Amino acid sequence: MTLSLTLAWRYLRGRGARSLLTTLAVVLGVMLTFGLNGILPAMVEAFTHNLLSAAGKVDLTVTSAYNQPFKPDVVSKLLTVPQVATASPGVQRTAPLPRSADAPADALAQVIVVGIDLATAAKLHDFPVASGRMLAAGDNAAVVMNTDLAGELGLRVGDQLVLPAAGGTARFRVVGLLGNVTVPGQEQVYLTLPAAQQLFGLGNRITQVEASFTPDADRAATEKAVAAALGPDYQVGGLSSESTLLASLQVAEFAFTMFGVFALATAGFIIANSFRTVVAERRRDIGMLRAVGTRRRTIMGMFLAESLFQGVIGTALGLVAGWLMAAGLISAVGSIAESVMHLRIGGPLFTPATWISSIALGIGVTVVAAVVPARAAGRVTPLEAMRPQLGEVYERRVGRRAWLGVAMVVASLFGLTTGSPGLIGLGAVVFLIGFALVAPAVVNPIAQWASRPLELFFSREGTIARSNLQRNPGRSAITVTAVMLGLASIVAVVSMVTSIFAGFTTYLDKSLSSDYLLIPQSIVLGQGNVAAGPRLAQEVRAVPGIGPVSTLRVAQATSNGTDVQVIGIDPDTYLQVAAFDWNSGSTDAAVGQLRTGRWLIANGIYAAQHNLVVGQAVQLSTPNGPRTYHLAGIGNDYLNAKLSTVYTSQQNLQRDFNTTADLLLMANRTAGADPATTKALLDRVVAGYPAFRLYESWSWRAEQLKTFNSTMIIFDVLVVALALPSLLALVNTLAISVLARTREIGMLRAVGATRRQVRRMVMAESLLLSVIGTVFGAVTGLWLGYALVAAMSAVGWEMPYAFPWSGLVATVVVGIVFGVLAAVGPARSASRLDVVAALHQE
Amino acid sequence: MTAKTAAIVEIAGLTKVYGSGEARVTALDAVDLVVPEGQFVTVMGPSGCGKSTLLNLLGGLDTPTAGSISIESQPLADLPDDRLTELRRRRIGFVFQFFNLIPVLSAVENASLPLRLDGDKDAEERATAWLERVGLGTRLHNRPDQLSGGQQQRVAIARALSTEPALVLADEPTGNLDSKSATEIGDLLRQVSTEWGRSVLMVTHDPRIASFAQRLVLMRDGRIVDDLSLDGTHEAPRTALEKAGLL
Repeated sequence: MTLSLTLAWRYLRGRGARSLLTTLAVVLGVMLTFGLNGILPAMVEAFTHNLLSAAGKVDLTVTSAYNQPFKPDVVSKLLTVPQVATASPGVQRTAPLPRSADAPADALAQVIVVGIDLATAAKLHDFPVASGRMLAAGDNAAVVMNTDLAGELGLRVGDQLVLPAAGGTARFRVVGLLGNVTVPGQEQVYLTLPAAQQLFGLGNRITQVEASFTPDADRAATEKAVAAALGPDYQVGGLSSESTLLASLQVAEFAFTMFGVFALATAGFIIANSFRTVVAERRRDIGMLRAVGTRRRTIMGMFLAESLFQGVIGTALGLVAGWLMAAGLISAVGSIAESVMHLRIGGPLFTPATWISSIALGIGVTVVAAVVPARAAGRVTPLEAMRPQLGEVYERRVGRRAWLGVAMVVASLFGLTTGSPGLIGLGAVVFLIGFALVAPAVVNPIAQWASRPLELFFSREGTIARSNLQRNPGRSAITVTAVMLGLASIVAVVSMVTSIFAGFTTYLDKSLSSDYLLIPQSIVLGQGNVAAGPRLAQEVRAVPGIGPVSTLRVAQATSNGTDVQVIGIDPDTYLQVAAFDWNSGSTDAAVGQLRTGRWLIANGIYAAQHNLVVGQAVQLSTPNGPRTYHLAGIGNDYLNAKLSTVYTSQQNLQRDFNTTADLLLMANRTAGADPATTKALLDRVVAGYPAFRLYESWSWRAEQLKTFNSTMIIFDVLVVALALPSLLALVNTLAISVLARTREIGMLRAVGATRRQVRRMVMAESLLLSVIGTVFGAVTGLWLGYALVAAMSAVGWEMPYAFPWSGLVATVVVGIVFGVLAAVGPARSASRLDVVAALHQE
Repeated sequence: MTAKTAAIVEIAGLTKVYGSGEARVTALDAVDLVVPEGQFVTVMGPSGCGKSTLLNLLGGLDTPTAGSISIESQPLADLPDDRLTELRRRRIGFVFQFFNLIPVLSAVENASLPLRLDGDKDAEERATAWLERVGLGTRLHNRPDQLSGGQQQRVAIARALSTEPALVLADEPTGNLDSKSATEIGDLLRQVSTEWGRSVLMVTHDPRIASFAQRLVLMRDGRIVDDLSLDGTHEAPRTALEKAGLL
């Protein structure tokens, strides 16, 4: 065994360039699996840290299941549970900060206003006063906050903080500053409970109760007991919005793992190919070793040891590269996350599972890929050493596997027709494996067919290239498969991105087709938005030049145990300023139907969650008890593309959910009105409502697209990282095929082929291989992309599948350009071969 | 010729047939041959006469169609692959036309290869001793690409001798060398038999190199057509070839 190791190590070092190319494939594969999976835990950690540090000694939080304020008697109900030690009523809502014109783009846009019950809150949170004083009973216009937050807001003790109120604005004097550190996303200012209730017009109602447990309490059992004591109208525990976020992260994790596995599979093919050629090149050496008495096992061991070395080195480097990639990506998205989501993401985090799976995959794939070539090496007879090398051996052993591949492709087609995301996903993988199995059998006929156009450009050299390729279909198939895998993953990513983007812009254009939008600054985060009373809509309507105006109102409900957002629209005006993106079978008539009683329109996510068909009855639990609605239609809009949502009339919302405040206003200009004048008049109205921002729709759309595009950087990086292994595969195979045919090329030169002709021959071969690989990759990638979109929909991120035309064209171009690039080096070295030396090459 | 009694190689009725039907080729046709200990035998004949086939069968690299081969009274036909591999490693040394050294190993590593395969602790020392005997004491740590053709073939001979084999098989050992190096290798192989007591069976096309041997076996169409002693003169093999009509 030590001899196997010595030989393996020496060969590895002796063929530096080749070993490097092969090892690099492993590095890239491991880098992707490891790096990508290091990003998600970092994000999850950021979220949980965010929540935990805000929570203090709080063991449990009670909120309304409908996101409604509720009566303070919940506190006494809570205290009936024996393990609950303290219960503190409170109000917590987001309030936008008035934006001055010269404020920097990253200036804080909102704070969380927390109304605290002075008697109980101190038992749950520390309020270490750094300067000034703490709030006192009867402080109706006072506020305290952390010193660092005050610094950010430019406030000192004695200054005034202006906050938007339902009927205009309210002013609070800063009476004290606290020594706590503010977590980004948790910029809280504290008022007394009565002051907060007054600010938000809540009467004596509260929005949350925080509680701590007795030291010996069983956490899970206590949570259960509390839930039982309070009934279904209350939500116990964390924030419900976390679960959808985590579901999206899980899909991302799935996709990341898949890309990593793809890259490693590509690496596997590169390694298998490399080792095949290595075995062919060393036939004489192996024959001699056998002749002087080396056992088959020792020969096999030598090749396996060589692959093990490469696996270990490649994996180690891949882990380093993966860490760097994760850190780089995080710092790239970090600034976006901080400004958009108020999340500070730390360094990349790697779970033990990520470590183990990356290392196992990296080393495992390398060694497994070398097993078949190593066995072939063990079968080399000693006689090989006695004969001069005759060149490569024609291989033909593809029949049975090809038929298996065909069967797999056919089977996967059934998976596609079922429409079930699991089967579609499985089908996509089966399809890919099927294609890989079929490849060796179809490479020759395809090359035959494809060579006609090739001969147009490369004439005779094209013909020679084709026969080179056909002479060794096994090697050609491996290259094609490696290119296919690389490009398939790119096409899949591109499909997914195109679909997300297309869904996004469709919703955007359809649902926000009005000329003006008045939106609270945190519109997408459903909770805690400050709504406006009916006066704002009236004032907007009264502006000269403004035509139809329609508003949206929001409430929360549960249906069959899951949360659903209920949006109230005005059926009379909604369609004049907005539109639904209808699923098949539903039309605008559904909006009219909302007028006629308890009807609702469901969005795709909600309809999919509950398997709804039009006309069906739906039970919603409302603050006033369960109500039965009927489904008028299924349609989507932009703002709620990611949330389970139903739409009903504002009349129903008032009757069943007690909600009358407007959350969003849409308005159109009348024909002939001057845009500049109208905007100026509207600006004047909105100035009295600092919670709202006025957008002209085109600028809102542009702003949204800008945010969206900036997150696309991640995908661009991903695409480049995925494309690299396929480039490597091509370079590797071509370099190898040139090396393996040194003698043949020498012969061609000897009988009169010019350097140019040799160069063109190698180039043509590369192009042919990459074109076939690209076509295969495009077909399989499209399917895979479709499966990914279906998988995203299944976990609740509904989007229409959009065919990635431009991405497809880009991928095909990349594939072909890579084919040419990969050939440059090998073509040069082939054309520069010393004829005499090449002919003497063994 | 029978002064040293023990026969290292005993071949009886050895036949090798390749292919079948019209493509049927009889490479060896009922050949009998005995090589005693320490004898240097050279085999000559036109291309395709069966001399390489004979060498391959002797080395256990190929299996005969009929007939028997014994090395040191051990019939090869009875041996499974692993035992045959072991026999090659311990009792037979090979010298090839293209040297067949491992390009990534140094001279001493190449020469010690069979010993290391055998798990010999003193592999390097023994290989070094042999390299010194064949005149390469100063090039121990050079890789094959840093050695001349003649030097590479000396490494190959040291490798063949390192396990103290009974038989050295040499297939056109000078076919890839200039005439000066070829002469040196021929002389070295004579030394292998006369001084170090190994039996040597060499296939060659070069009558001048053949003259270093003690015995000449002439073959044609798979049969031995002449078997004679040589007197050490350069002319002897040529005369014999002419007499047999092989020139």
